[in-house]
Amino acid sequence: MSVEQRTGNPSMTKRERDEVFVEYTKSICPLCKVVVDAQVNIRDGRVYLRKRCRDHGEFEALVYGDAQMYLDSARFNKPGTIPLTFQTEVRDGCPSDCGLCPEHKQHACLGIIEVNTNCNLDCPVCFADSGHHPDGYAITVGQCAAMLDAFVASEGEAEVVMFSGGEPTIHKHILTFVDLAQARPIRSVTLNTNGIRLASDTAFVMALGERNRPGRTVNVYLQFDGFDERTHREIRGRDLRAIKERALDNCAAAGLTVTLVAAVERGLNDHEVGAVVEYGLAHPAVRGVAFQPVTHSGRHLQFDPLTRLTNSDVIHQLAEQRPGWFEPGDFFPVPCCFPTCRSVTYLLSEGTPGEPGFGVVPIPRLLDVEDYLDYVSNRVVPDDAIREALEKLWSASAFMGTDTTTTRLDTATKRLTVAAEALECADACGVNLPEAIADLNDRAFMIVIQDFQDPYTLNVKQLMKCCVEEITPDGRLIPFCAYNSVGYREQVREQMSGVPVTDVVPNARPLQPVLVDSPYGSKNARSDLGNGHVPADQTNVGKRVR
Amino acid sequence: MSSPTPMWWWAQVTTTRTREAAKTCCAAAYGSDIAALLLGDSYHPGGLSLTRRLATQLGLPRDAHVLDVASGPGATAMMLAGEFGLRVAGLDLSAANVALAQGRADAQGQADRVSFAVGDAELLPYPDAAFDAVVIECALCTFPNKPAAAAETARVLRNGGRLGLTDVLGDADRLPAELTTLAAHIACIAGARPMHTYADLVDAAGLRTTRTERHDAALARMIDQIEARLELVRLTARAQAEALGLDLDRAKQALAAARAAVADGVIGYGLLVADKP
Repeated sequence: MSVEQRTGNPSMTKRERDEVFVEYTKSICPLCKVVVDAQVNIRDGRVYLRKRCRDHGEFEALVYGDAQMYLDSARFNKPGTIPLTFQTEVRDGCPSDCGLCPEHKQHACLGIIEVNTNCNLDCPVCFADSGHHPDGYAITVGQCAAMLDAFVASEGEAEVVMFSGGEPTIHKHILTFVDLAQARPIRSVTLNTNGIRLASDTAFVMALGERNRPGRTVNVYLQFDGFDERTHREIRGRDLRAIKERALDNCAAAGLTVTLVAAVERGLNDHEVGAVVEYGLAHPAVRGVAFQPVTHSGRHLQFDPLTRLTNSDVIHQLAEQRPGWFEPGDFFPVPCCFPTCRSVTYLLSEGTPGEPGFGVVPIPRLLDVEDYLDYVSNRVVPDDAIREALEKLWSASAFMGTDTTTTRLDTATKRLTVAAEALECADACGVNLPEAIADLNDRAFMIVIQDFQDPYTLNVKQLMKCCVEEITPDGRLIPFCAYNSVGYREQVREQMSGVPVTDVVPNARPLQPVLVDSPYGSKNARSDLGNGHVPADQTNVGKRVR
Repeated sequence: MSSPTPMWWWAQVTTTRTREAAKTCCAAAYGSDIAALLLGDSYHPGGLSLTRRLATQLGLPRDAHVLDVASGPGATAMMLAGEFGLRVAGLDLSAANVALAQGRADAQGQADRVSFAVGDAELLPYPDAAFDAVVIECALCTFPNKPAAAAETARVLRNGGRLGLTDVLGDADRLPAELTTLAAHIACIAGARPMHTYADLVDAAGLRTTRTERHDAALARMIDQIEARLELVRLTARAQAEALGLDLDRAKQALAAARAAVADGVIGYGLLVADKP
């Protein structure tokens, strides 16, 4: 007998919820940044985060486009490593104590130093809200040294420091900063740049090239969003296509390894992701591509939080746009951070795309990555050296052009053939593949997909295990997405520039009625809505039921 | 019968030699770079996760004694010892595999729990009722005398002991044309049987099948992996490979036909558990 028959009144029929409830966590109100409770639900095969602020109501955003991939990723979660020092104490709880506080679950795989707020572009999309502003700041040589020291104190021997901005190449001391990093136990320096100076100043590029040496590598993280003129105009405000090409050619001439970094927005340049990989495979300087769904922190185009682009969407797009090269199963979550934050694959390739003899083989089809990086099921791994290599490759500190990444790629591919060397009739059918693969390894290519959190999507669960940290001039290491979403960026800019900075609010469609322009092109909430810099926690109300 | 089945398969479908010559080459191919590269280290469909599932279904207490028939380079045996706390005897026809596996067991400090020996599945060098369980992964289909292997398995199991089997499933009558022609040359597909035939085989040896599962996606993934390795050969060593009689185009066609056969359910991968009453 159905419920309707029993009650006799259809209006009293119990209904099913249209979603599966999977997580309870904390987030922030995107308007006032107060810490609020949040829940994660699966609806129509997609994953959403929803929260409610007592003052500003309910907010919801898409966090992962493929619910099955989201759930499957959970086992790729590595126990964290405790850093040597913490810079803050636990007082108000996450995300108000950054950082790193002793409750943080992971050390810093990657430290970022923003050397300035100034930029030679005024991109419509910039999570750092940088540009030609008269009231920004630039760090001094002394400040840079202290920031590097804070990083080293926390890490001992650090893998990678990234100089960013603003536009770091226009800081007059940028080469000195590189030298300061190289004088410390930091294995690699990455320069995050729009490429304008690299395209025009070959002496500068050569100076970087001279600093790129074994044991202390320097490599380039080059903004590269696509090929359509519209892509350039809407994301960068200028057609930079010729400049990007010159920058890449200059890097190739100076022996610098480049990772192309594409900010990808749904409906704008997500149709170009396959083409960006193909271009990278063909250019001698390029050894990897990082796809970053546009971060809706700082300055960005208006967007709909419910249809934003996520990691799984980029993975599916790549598989659809280059079906002979990729399938979604070739990408694996990175276990050092929270596994839904970042996915990676590596390719071995030979030849030039479009020409006869070209081919790509994703490394995960050559060895069972899950046998090594599934930390929940596996207690025994078939080969410890392979696990160690794959851990370094599936890490936020993996950058093409660093010694660590190069040697671990070598280990992983060499181990593919180690069994053959041990067998007795190794030459019976006589093809020496280890040798052939060693040559191929020189053209290994990395693809990273990283969805940074914004004030809509922020999930404290992910933040607590973040391994990409912003190093601040006062010596803190603040998880990247906390820095951009919670209010720390505004706090640091205000401290450094001496100019008051109001909290930035996402340029989200549902928020349009309450948004006003900030001085830097981003959005603020109308002043009558009120907000403070230090987010108060609304989740722990300190009350008893009775 | 010493190595994971698809090694036969690959070696045979990709050469243009006569069957007898191919057989000889295949034996050599077990130990060659190229076969090891194409098939990976201890590959069988489903990898370690399917082995883990099989081991869980054996339901054994710690220190139970298990025989791993066709143990290859020893990855399964090492996992059964390391994760499940079992004592494992690995048996393989290839002395090279046995030496490699034993070396790994020593290196990982597992030599007190795991040992490997050279031997034939159709004539097991163990006394009656010596084991609590027997594991045969992706190997029975290649054994020429399957009833003998099943009978030997039953003999070395104690009463109440359990067999855990995974293998390629195939229905000879439904194979598509490309694979029918090849089947005569492909030990793996020619030797594969439908699930009920494997069940009948072990039941006839005195065991009782208690559970069967299909894991066809594992075989599809393995075909992708073999194709990736073949692509790697094409990219790095095409000339040498072709000089050895490798027909890359033909291999690609065979892989495509195999992929279609998996999609149609004509070939697949199965897991079977049987008890000795």
